Amino acid sequence: MTTLHVTFRVGTADYALPAAQVLHLESFEIATHVPGAPTYVAGLMQVRGRVVPVVDLRLRFGLASIEHTIDHRVVVVQVGTRVAGLLVDSAREVVQLDETSFAQPPEILDRQSAGFVTAVATLANRLFLLIDVSRIIGEELTHA
Amino acid sequence: MNEPNEPIDLQEFLGAFVVEAEELIATANASLLEIETAIGDATSRPRAVRELFRALHTIKGLASMIGVEPIVEIAHALETLVRAADRAGGSLHRGAVEIALQAVGAIAERVRAVAEHREVTKAPEALLAEIASTEAGSVASIPEAAIPPEWRTRLSPSERQQLALALEARVPVWTLSFVPSEANAARGITITTVRAGLGAIGEIVKVIPRSVAATADVKLGVAFDILIASDATQLAIAEAASTDPERVFPLVQRVPTPAAELDLDSFEPVERDDGGAILGRAVVRVELPRLDDLQDQLSLLIASRFRLEREIGCFSELGHNVQRLHEIVRIQGRLLRDLRRAILRARMVKVTEVLEPLTILVRSLARSGGTVVQLELDACEVELDKAVADRLLPALIHLVRNAVDHAIELPDQRVALGKPRAAKVRVSCIEVAGNYLEIVVSDDGRGIDRAAIARRANCPIDDDARLLEVLTSPGFSTRDVPTKTSGRGIGMDIVRRIASDLGGELSMTTQLGAGTSFTLRVPVTIAVMDVFSFQCGPQAFVVPTAVVDEVIEVDAERIVVPLNLHADGTASPLSLIERRGHAIPVVSLGALLAIDSGKRARKALVIRRNGDPIAFTVDRMIGRQEVVVRTIDDALVNVPGIAGTTDLGDGRPTLVLDLNELGIMARERGME
Repeated sequence: MTTLHVTFRVGTADYALPAAQVLHLESFEIATHVPGAPTYVAGLMQVRGRVVPVVDLRLRFGLASIEHTIDHRVVVVQVGTRVAGLLVDSAREVVQLDETSFAQPPEILDRQSAGFVTAVATLANRLFLLIDVSRIIGEELTHA
Repeated sequence: MNEPNEPIDLQEFLGAFVVEAEELIATANASLLEIETAIGDATSRPRAVRELFRALHTIKGLASMIGVEPIVEIAHALETLVRAADRAGGSLHRGAVEIALQAVGAIAERVRAVAEHREVTKAPEALLAEIASTEAGSVASIPEAAIPPEWRTRLSPSERQQLALALEARVPVWTLSFVPSEANAARGITITTVRAGLGAIGEIVKVIPRSVAATADVKLGVAFDILIASDATQLAIAEAASTDPERVFPLVQRVPTPAAELDLDSFEPVERDDGGAILGRAVVRVELPRLDDLQDQLSLLIASRFRLEREIGCFSELGHNVQRLHEIVRIQGRLLRDLRRAILRARMVKVTEVLEPLTILVRSLARSGGTVVQLELDACEVELDKAVADRLLPALIHLVRNAVDHAIELPDQRVALGKPRAAKVRVSCIEVAGNYLEIVVSDDGRGIDRAAIARRANCPIDDDARLLEVLTSPGFSTRDVPTKTSGRGIGMDIVRRIASDLGGELSMTTQLGAGTSFTLRVPVTIAVMDVFSFQCGPQAFVVPTAVVDEVIEVDAERIVVPLNLHADGTASPLSLIERRGHAIPVVSLGALLAIDSGKRARKALVIRRNGDPIAFTVDRMIGRQEVVVRTIDDALVNVPGIAGTTDLGDGRPTLVLDLNELGIMARERGME
């Protein structure tokens, strides 16, 4: 069985999210900095009439920040009632991923990505890392 | 295509049920309290009994639609009792009121269970049995001769009962007529306003329409005969009914004999005994989130108008003639402002309605605590945003509960102290400048013992402001202290928190032995704010103008950095600035938010927190405008000092700062 996924790039790796969790993609200009928020929060953006927090995935994954380019995208995701944006280096593709190709992430990767990666999928010799969005947007924060 | 068996959205339906049921419960409670008061005055309130009946009947119907059997059972039992009371002329005895209040409480409990998706417990057998064995009140009788003949055949048993009780209590009974005319209508006077006016000064027993000769002025050809029991003077009654004093007759005199009678059925809406029914039909209940949506859409529209204006500006710079475009955009701006005002009005509720739950609370607290308390509510016609009301109510409940539970002495103690036996708790509300409300909760109880609190807190307390600070510090108020001696104790930090979350303030005055008075100052609405916008380091912010006492010039040379270095050698963020001969603490907002060194600061916003001023330096002021504020609720960005966001017209969110909270943060850091 295959499922539609949105794929995007952060650093040197390709990531994938089930399309059902993605509301839309936006280009990124600037976000309003929120003093006191976690450092990986790029800020607030107005997206189609809604004000959403944007998480910089580079910072969230412990990578160095880079100059923003025209390729940068915000993947707007919905988890339960929460809506947030994920700032990624680029996002172009929508692919069908075969769930039978999903494998446990290698242990070393798992530690590096701090448990954000839930599985690794392969498609035409390319690797896609599947990520846990609710953990990325800080589900632990909502219980604080 | 809908499948025939597709389940309806029960969730949405349950939400509507809860909202409606809660309203009906409030009505039932209010009616019961009115009936109880009437027992005290030896009068009856047939209308309250009927309202109670209607509320119970509707609750029963709603509950059976969604199949919550226990609520149906309790409501049904109580309805039976109340119907008997209605037949008996509209009176319930004290015991029956007590049981009815319990039963309504049991219904309320189960409605809450539905709201919270908990299991609804069975109807308590003991309660049902008690309701079943309770009899309604006794019937007072009235001699037939005391009723004017033309009214004799037209009064129901309950109306006769009402007359009898009025006569018994020596309340004068009057008859009068009101003729709806073109002239009256032009002045806004209708039978509805007359009912309302008379209802305010007496108890309307009956209103009967009759036909009169139609004239140019009296086009409808209808007059209304009104029977009313009232202590008011003939003149006052005439004025309330917008008629001549000569047309108001004491009961012993005759009313002009009605001409030909009209078919009563055609006057059904008027004949109903609640003047509100006609007005009531024009009311729509709307869930608040829908109004929020509307407001969000509107703010997008406003932002897009700003963009349009900017584009027109560019056109103009290119040498195009944009005069007519300017005119259109200007009109659009005015229309949008009007629209925003209209949406705001739709969000408003009467403060009186908001305070309603307090009456039932005070009654039950006083009962269980053995105190005698008179609750006075005084909010007149003041209105506030439903969203503010919902957030504010817990704070008011807290203050009133504290007053009744801890501040008020037992009746005998009060008498020994030379105070009236019945204590007074007063909740009043007035509108103050800048779209703010001041709600005062005061009592005439024992007051707060400043010295005792100072000993317990182990610090000197010189004034009420300092006392409140100690009482509302979380470390103090959550400690389990013997509250009977201090007069106040638990949970005051929550009250302060609610006020500051709303962008408001809590203050207090107290006098040992005489009572305490708390003042909550909150904005009428949190959806729209009048704000100052300013630049601080790399970004723009806004703050509500209402919290800003003054904007002052900052000259770096006027800032004094005191020698309070931290142990690690870094400077405290608090410095001092001279203002009208006084040194006040000043904080660099940029440094506090860790976004800027604050070196370019040229202005400072002075706020007052419980009377103590504190200044925040900013780079420069941008302007002052009215904006739509959205709250920030996502956990990622829910940080102290930030109250919400707004759009200043550039399509980007601008942060709304809570300077009160930032002031507390600065002080805490300064003291570290």
